[in-house]
Amino acid sequence: MASLTCTASDLVPLLSSSSSTNATALASFLCTRFSTISDQLSDATHAIDNTYLLFSAYLVFAMQLGFAMLCAGSVRAKNTMNIMLTNVLDAAAGALSYYLFGFAFAFGSPSNGFIGRHFFGLKTYPSPSGDYSFFLYQWAFAIAAAGITSGSIAERTQFVAYLIYSSFLTGFVYPIVSHWFWSGDGWASATGSENLLFGSGVIDFAGSGVVHMVGGIAGLWGALIEGPRLGRFDRAGRSVALRGHSASLVVLGTFLLWFGWYGFNPGSFLTIAKGYGGGGGYYGQWSAIGRTAVTTTMAGCTAALTTLFSKRLLVGHWNVIDVCNGLLGGFAAITSGCSVVEPWAAIICGFVAAWVLIGFNILASKLKYDDPLEAAQLHGGCGAWGLLFTGLFATEAYVNEVYPGRPGRPYGLFMGGGGKLLGAQLIQILVIAGWVTATMGPLFYVLHKMKLLRISENDETAGMDLTRHGGFAYAYHDEEDLSLTPGFMMTKIEPTNGSPSEGQTSPSNV
Amino acid sequence: MEISWEQSVTYSINTIYLLFSAYLVFVMQLGFAMLCAGSVRAKNAMNIMLTNVVDAVVGSISYYLFGFAFAFGDSSNPFIGTNFFALKDIPNSSYDYSFFLYQWAFAIAVAGITSGSIAERTQFSAYLVFSFFLSGFVYPIVVHWVWSSGGWLSASSSNPLFASGAIDFAGSGVVHLVGAVAGLWGSFIEGPRVGRFDAFGKVMPMRGHNATLVVLGTFLLWFGWFGFNPGSFDKILVAYPSTTDQGNWTAIGRTAVTTTLAGSTAGIVTLFGRRLLVGHWDALDVCNGLLGGFVAITSGCSVVEPWAAIVCGFFAAWVLIGLNFLAVKLNFDDPLEAAQLHGGCGAWGLIFTGLFAKEEFVIQAYDSGESGVVRPHGLFMGGGWGLLGCQVIEVLVIVSWVTVTMGPLFFALHRLRILRISVEEEIAGLDISSHGGYAYNTHQEDNQPRFNADYMSMQDQS
Repeated sequence: MASLTCTASDLVPLLSSSSSTNATALASFLCTRFSTISDQLSDATHAIDNTYLLFSAYLVFAMQLGFAMLCAGSVRAKNTMNIMLTNVLDAAAGALSYYLFGFAFAFGSPSNGFIGRHFFGLKTYPSPSGDYSFFLYQWAFAIAAAGITSGSIAERTQFVAYLIYSSFLTGFVYPIVSHWFWSGDGWASATGSENLLFGSGVIDFAGSGVVHMVGGIAGLWGALIEGPRLGRFDRAGRSVALRGHSASLVVLGTFLLWFGWYGFNPGSFLTIAKGYGGGGGYYGQWSAIGRTAVTTTMAGCTAALTTLFSKRLLVGHWNVIDVCNGLLGGFAAITSGCSVVEPWAAIICGFVAAWVLIGFNILASKLKYDDPLEAAQLHGGCGAWGLLFTGLFATEAYVNEVYPGRPGRPYGLFMGGGGKLLGAQLIQILVIAGWVTATMGPLFYVLHKMKLLRISENDETAGMDLTRHGGFAYAYHDEEDLSLTPGFMMTKIEPTNGSPSEGQTSPSNV
Repeated sequence: MEISWEQSVTYSINTIYLLFSAYLVFVMQLGFAMLCAGSVRAKNAMNIMLTNVVDAVVGSISYYLFGFAFAFGDSSNPFIGTNFFALKDIPNSSYDYSFFLYQWAFAIAVAGITSGSIAERTQFSAYLVFSFFLSGFVYPIVVHWVWSSGGWLSASSSNPLFASGAIDFAGSGVVHLVGAVAGLWGSFIEGPRVGRFDAFGKVMPMRGHNATLVVLGTFLLWFGWFGFNPGSFDKILVAYPSTTDQGNWTAIGRTAVTTTLAGSTAGIVTLFGRRLLVGHWDALDVCNGLLGGFVAITSGCSVVEPWAAIVCGFFAAWVLIGLNFLAVKLNFDDPLEAAQLHGGCGAWGLIFTGLFAKEEFVIQAYDSGESGVVRPHGLFMGGGWGLLGCQVIEVLVIVSWVTVTMGPLFFALHRLRILRISVEEEIAGLDISSHGGYAYNTHQEDNQPRFNADYMSMQDQS
């Protein structure tokens, strides 16, 4: 890199003469220094933005761990190995399919409004549109969607079916949806340069629709086609609670998901080093990012508290599992509008999300729909509410900060911004429900017809761990440990001069 | 006003640093939930975890509405803040959203500490009440005194007490001692758990149900402490004028080192100390020792040399062991040893800072490394009595304030019979009686009190 130093003894000789050669030398001297400064400025900006995005990606990845723990704790002990393996494989198989073609379908611009077509296998990447940190961040999102679906079909699904639906969802169904709403080319995106949907485009900042609804609706079809778990609804049609085996793991998982959400929502800004003029000299994207972390927190907490008191009224006790689910429902809802609403509005979002979840759970029970993680109700239902919420409460100032370049664009209905944004949000809900139904519905149905979807009744009763995964997850009692009672002698028996019994050692005392 | 490029860079870097530190402090909530869950009996696991979740969510609402305002509002009042209610006028040139979130993460930690002391025998409605009050009022007032630039005890004030102010960098006093004193009163007023002390006053061991969760929780707390201590610098991009390449980034790294050394030393000393005292190597005691070391160094982490942190951890281990003995002698039952650990080691940490703070580091932390400034510092480092005096005052004032606020609150709840649960509920377990069922469906609870000694203690309870 060229030198940045600038001393009088360098400049004076160039200034004192008036010949044109020295004018050129002077100009070249100064311009090189300015260019070097400019390069260093842009290098620093890139380093800052990449640090921010990479660490946000690691946080979103921590949500995978959180969801694994949540799932493990919510199922019966005999199915723990199975559900955790599905979570590990969502991440691993998703990495391959998203790298090979998923990312290309999602963000392979320039392209058309429906699907991307560059960067297969990250060819010609990084590009001016993004660096590896962006790919990693998007991968972390992609595997989250598949994780959601695995919750709905837990405890009764063949492992081969998991692999097939997971690769298809992460590699095709989800990337298409993210192209529509997040790529600059997408037909419904809010960041396009021309022809925005209803003059507005859809605002789904971190993916209440793109991630949560997609995962939830896919899970809905899987669980509907498979049917409820054995014993979930008795002959009289009454609901029987099939309780999870560890509330500690559920709480652990919920808190890890909360922690990871701080990468999921604020990280969706992608860059942090950007000033917003007109704010008094301290206001910039970093403030909006902080505000997004605050709205996320407020929505989740309000949803949790609302659930706490509502369930106390409805069922008569304080239930930690329900509170955890309520918390997550609040997060799923605020995910859409986290960056464009005020913190007080986030409180409203969380409050309503809690009731949406409770309502959908009651409906599911009435319709004999069994979802071990209530994933369809939570991610699907609260995700959809979150999209509508954004159409009602997005503020003008924040919408223009986050999606600049089109002054006078629509914003939240209740904030005076007209109905166009709300209209676009409704379209998103319908389109996602339709697309996921049209792709995952037939897939699950075909798997079902080929008898590849659900496990046999005997396997389900014995538990998938024992029948398909080599054994149970927990081994707390040593008398079950076969290594302590080997079938052959472990020590040599020495003959002694005394009675025969003295020289013998018991084979189990090794 | 157009914002310059270098200001953008500065604010971005500082915001990344503070936001990620806030997320780390939030992880401590999870760590404490796991620590608590593993330390109680299986029949109460749902209850204790719900209290941890609720501490976070209730504290969020109260801290957002008025806690933050009391803590950091208008600096002209030395006792309480008077603006920024519900984040009005935030962000401004002094406080951005990232600062609020960071402070929020601290606020919810305090109530968690108290819940450990009163675990396994407290009615859930009492939790809601004390948690809201502690996070929304009692704690923010202390924050204002010690951490707001207008606070009467603050080291950042323009006219600090004894020309020094108290140095409680990340809150041995403000967070840990406050939570512990509240827990002390709650636990004392409620009395010990049924079966904890037999008819002759001898202590009965009450083991937690899952050591794995205890270790998981301890490590998560350790991980989160890297946000708690170094993050309290707020800004990383502050260069020290009298040096060539040092700035807050250097002091932050040093703070992470002192934190690690203090905790590790306390852990090792506890390991060997307990081996001598009880005859075996106890993982759970080591976990508690580790945490005691972290609590103690929290006050002076930024202003002491790394070797001093080792001294801090060494004594923190003995303080904890000593206070545990005392608790048993006084028939004081704290399921998480929270009052002994957070209170005792927290108070020790404040005194430690008054003895070992180095002037150069104090100036770095509180005057951004300005040259030509003089500050009272640790007594053993030649800094006079000013700082130590303020530290002692901080201990006394926190103990008094929390006693006069939380003491009467717990007493009133007790009188209204909404503090402690009934004996039958306690024997059956809180989960089955108030939380819809057991946490685990593969384990049977097997330490129900079945002996005359327990019956005798039950007689004493009324």
